[in-house]
Amino acid sequence: MKRREFVKKAATLTAGSIVMPYLLPSGRVFAKTNAPLAEHVVYVIFGGGLRQQDSILKRYLADSQGFNSEGNILNNMLDGAAPTSKVAYGIGEGGTSPIPKILSQSLQTQGTIFSEMRAISGGHYGGLNSLLTGSGVAGQGLKVRPINPTVFEYARRFGGFKATDTWFIGNSIGNSLPLLNSSKHPDFGLPYGANFFAPNITFGSDGYATLKNAKIYHPQEELEPMYKMKNFLDNSFNIKKGDMPGIKNTDEERTQIKEFIANTFIRQAAGQIPMPPVGGGDGATLGYAAEVLRVFKPKLLAVNMSSIDGCHGNFTGYLQAMHRADHALGFLWNYIETQIPEMSGKTILCFVPECGRNKDHNPILDANDWYGYDHGDSNSLRVFGGMVGPNVQRNLMVGNEANPIGKVTDFNLTIAEILGYKSEVKSAGIIDPQAQSLFDRI
Amino acid sequence: MMLFLVSACKRENFITKFEVEETPSFGDNLNKDKDKTNIEFHSILTTNLFQKPSSVTELSRTDRVIQSCGDKTLINEVIISNYMNTSFVILPSRQMMVDSTEKFVIDTYIRFFIRRPSEAEKTWFINFINANKSNPSFRPELVYSSFAASDEYMFY
Repeated sequence: MKRREFVKKAATLTAGSIVMPYLLPSGRVFAKTNAPLAEHVVYVIFGGGLRQQDSILKRYLADSQGFNSEGNILNNMLDGAAPTSKVAYGIGEGGTSPIPKILSQSLQTQGTIFSEMRAISGGHYGGLNSLLTGSGVAGQGLKVRPINPTVFEYARRFGGFKATDTWFIGNSIGNSLPLLNSSKHPDFGLPYGANFFAPNITFGSDGYATLKNAKIYHPQEELEPMYKMKNFLDNSFNIKKGDMPGIKNTDEERTQIKEFIANTFIRQAAGQIPMPPVGGGDGATLGYAAEVLRVFKPKLLAVNMSSIDGCHGNFTGYLQAMHRADHALGFLWNYIETQIPEMSGKTILCFVPECGRNKDHNPILDANDWYGYDHGDSNSLRVFGGMVGPNVQRNLMVGNEANPIGKVTDFNLTIAEILGYKSEVKSAGIIDPQAQSLFDRI
Repeated sequence: MMLFLVSACKRENFITKFEVEETPSFGDNLNKDKDKTNIEFHSILTTNLFQKPSSVTELSRTDRVIQSCGDKTLINEVIISNYMNTSFVILPSRQMMVDSTEKFVIDTYIRFFIRRPSEAEKTWFINFINANKSNPSFRPELVYSSFAASDEYMFY
């Protein structure tokens, strides 16, 4: 080869390698842009509408029912003494005994709390959308997939994760929850969606009657020819991306999930599903989330809670649900740290409600003659959130009532930073333009 | 005048004849662009497999279960295999599949897709079934399951 020809070819190759990105097998186009802060993220939507005054501000009944009783009822999440009078949120007759805390150190001590953040919406679905998409879109319709990509789609597209690496665990199939595992955005959508289970249905009485008796086919003798035929039929039909009825797992992943479903019924019958010591509220949802974590060790799992929303008509039930949600959260973090060695010390737990609750009560009284609270006013936009795990500063409280710091839309970018693709999410230009990673807020 | 009358038009003998035009009753897969609802899907599926419709209670329960899973194809496969594990499912025999493979393939396409297979599809399936004859686990149940779990079966 002549020298001139060699130089020309070498220059072309070098330029090409710079200009043309390397297409990874997973479909991601670029290598990760920041060093990951952790290998896994568990994102708990501490949801249902959590009134700031009754939770992080620890005013118990003082700011809601006019009784001079203050104290902390989120004893796994926050530091602070429990209320000493009119205790009705615990266990036993009248709920007078708080549930013993699970964590030896509160999440506040172990991590960082943003004590006064701003929600995007005072409603559930808008709030959930903002938490999962990081978008400030307020006009999201019910019964439709989000307009903008979810945290799962960013993770799969930019993080290069497979479907079983991303999970959304819902506490029901109501409130359009099953539609939140993927958006309908043309550049993302179902090909990048997360797996979804609503365990109270999938593994409840409905699932038991419909799935429990499913055959376990032999992987080579039976499943392999079955998948070959199905794949041939699917290739002949050539479904369009926009017409996909759900997300797609690979054949290998499908086999793994089928085994998971079958084993879950077996473990359920044997009482082996990990569950919070005290049941009720959203505890079972977090128990099944722990089971998914144990088996799949996903990169990103989001789980939704909503029992707290009983506050519309039962304030006592709301306090009990909040206390049990804290108990379940403590259980989940403890389970990850002590029972899943592959995730222990490598996982960041994020938690935040989708919205707060009103400043003023509604006229509905419960059995204790305590008023209920709806959500939708400006007080409903007051929320708090936190994170704990490797690379998260310990024992740090950021912001206060007079100085709000952070928005719920920050969590999407925060998760992107944790998993190593923050700049891609930013460059996509679809998230709330005011959103920042919570690490940058600090 | 006489010449004009002789050469004038004559009355035609009309024969009214009604016939049925030959029209293929099976379509193709090109026009299937509407996805079945969960209830439609399982109503049709159970009628196919059990030769009788499911109750409304069963259908709404199945609908909830499908909604509770993100991968619809996967959960349908599990539900199908659950149906296959009942004694009520009506399937052709393995002998029929092996002895009359072409008829089995055509019947299966018509049963599930309401259309005949193309020549390429028919050939592929006949070859595939023949290649798996020596596998004793290869049964009509697997063929039916793959059709029932296919993308095309989810559309109409």
